[in-house]
Amino acid sequence: MRCYNCGAELTINPFCTNCGADIREYRRIIWTSNQYYNDGLTKARVRDLSGAVVSLRACLKLNRTNIEARNLLGLVYFEMGEAVAAFAEWVVSKNMKPDKNVADDFMEEIQSNPGRLDTINHSIKKYNQALAYARQGSLDLSVIQLKKVLQMNPNLVVAYELLGLLYLQAEEYNRAKRILNQALKIDRNNTRVLYYLKEAEEGIAQRYSGEGTGLRRRRSEPRASTDAITYTSGNETIIQPVNSVERGGSSTLLNIVIGAVIGILLMLFLVLPARIRSANNEMNDQLKEVSDELNVKNADIEEQQKRIEALQSENNELKGNIGDLAGNSGMAERYDHLAEAALNYIKDPNDVTGTEAMLALIPVGSASANAVSLNIESIGGLDPTIYSQAFRDLYNYLDNDVASRAARTYIDRGREEFENQQYQAAIADLLKATEIAPLDDEAWYYLAESYKQAGDSVHATQAYSRIVNEMADSQYADKARSNLSNGAAAEDTGQTQEQEQTAPDTAETTENTAAIDTDALAQALALQALQAGAGAGEAENGAE
Amino acid sequence: MIDFDEELKKFHPSPEVEDAESTIRALDVTDMVDLIVHLEERTIIQ
Repeated sequence: MRCYNCGAELTINPFCTNCGADIREYRRIIWTSNQYYNDGLTKARVRDLSGAVVSLRACLKLNRTNIEARNLLGLVYFEMGEAVAAFAEWVVSKNMKPDKNVADDFMEEIQSNPGRLDTINHSIKKYNQALAYARQGSLDLSVIQLKKVLQMNPNLVVAYELLGLLYLQAEEYNRAKRILNQALKIDRNNTRVLYYLKEAEEGIAQRYSGEGTGLRRRRSEPRASTDAITYTSGNETIIQPVNSVERGGSSTLLNIVIGAVIGILLMLFLVLPARIRSANNEMNDQLKEVSDELNVKNADIEEQQKRIEALQSENNELKGNIGDLAGNSGMAERYDHLAEAALNYIKDPNDVTGTEAMLALIPVGSASANAVSLNIESIGGLDPTIYSQAFRDLYNYLDNDVASRAARTYIDRGREEFENQQYQAAIADLLKATEIAPLDDEAWYYLAESYKQAGDSVHATQAYSRIVNEMADSQYADKARSNLSNGAAAEDTGQTQEQEQTAPDTAETTENTAAIDTDALAQALALQALQAGAGAGEAENGAE
Repeated sequence: MIDFDEELKKFHPSPEVEDAESTIRALDVTDMVDLIVHLEERTIIQ
């Protein structure tokens, strides 16, 4: 304890040893203040909040610096719903003792929840409004407001008190009693609440006692029936059933059952169809999504099939190219023929027929064009789109050097065979000569002669015709023309005989006939026939 | 019987949060010790 005058620490002496002030009264005041604090603390512990407020206020009136008492007073105010009053006490406490003050914790805890503080403030405003309504005579409005207040702030004791008073004024003693009992759960020894509760109980008692005689009902509730209570609130007359609140358990159970049945019916007729419709819509949406995905997949599949077809055709084309390159008549085979021809030429340059035979195996065009027998000279050499430059150079070199000599060899051999009357062999060699040198008149003449001597007048006539038409300046042209005019070659054929019978036997007629036979198309046919005849001749030789 | 009007007069508006500052300023914090000091000062002056 410190001296109130100088602030020095006091001793057991009845005066201040520092300033000499008499501290006997001061000590009594402090002692009494502490007693009040203890009393307030005890009341607060047993929830006698209003009693605690009285004691703590008395304590602080004696000694305002009792920080514990002030903090406890704020706590009690807060418990009674008086938040602003609580804050005021805590702020003062904090002002008096800035450090190590529990009021800090109280305020911090409340301020950390702004929503709660706002709700409390809102409830206080409504309480003030309800009080204003009550003073204006609008008791019903005041009751409504107070009910809202108690929902928001169930600890606001003054709201219970006011609502109890309003119920008492309305002679709703049961309600008043119930509300006041709720207030007592917060503040057990609230004098005003106890007073109102006593009035409510007396009112209830008087009502029940009055029911026996009927006197009170006639005085205060003249028009009420036996089942209802009638009272006037402001300008309104309110009729309330006596047992409206207190209901039997059986009726409650019945209501619950009815409510359950109604709920089930609502589920069946309102909720379930909506849920089913919602589920159907959801299913339709999902079906649509799946259908869209299926369409996309189908489009992908079609695209992939088109790609497969394109790749298949490309594969076939490549396979064809591979066949061209590696097949029996492919490029590899052609290179082999050229290499063999070159090797044969190097080994024996005089074996021109062998080299030429190998060169003849090389077609001038592609593999597909190979099926048609073509004359190399007629198209001017190998196809540059198929053969490389080196291939063509080597081929041309060999062919230029070998072809003329090979033709000469075949012709010489053919003539020798003709003279030895080996006509079929002569025909075979001379045909090869004509293939190599298609404009060699000597080869054609002896070929025709060989056919003639072999009895093949048709091919003989064709060979003579060729000399006459294509090699007119040849030394053999006159002989060929003479043979044609003599019809020697046509003796064996009925067609030739018919021509001889119908046509005049003059040189001009022979020339006209030869002119007809010189048609380009006929020449090509004749050439093919000659080649076919040569093949047949070779077969006959083989048979012999 | 309760006199409603008289009872109603005993109720006072509860201070709101907006009025907290004025409530704190209006708080009477004088105590008995202040009274003693005041009396002693008057005695000394006399």
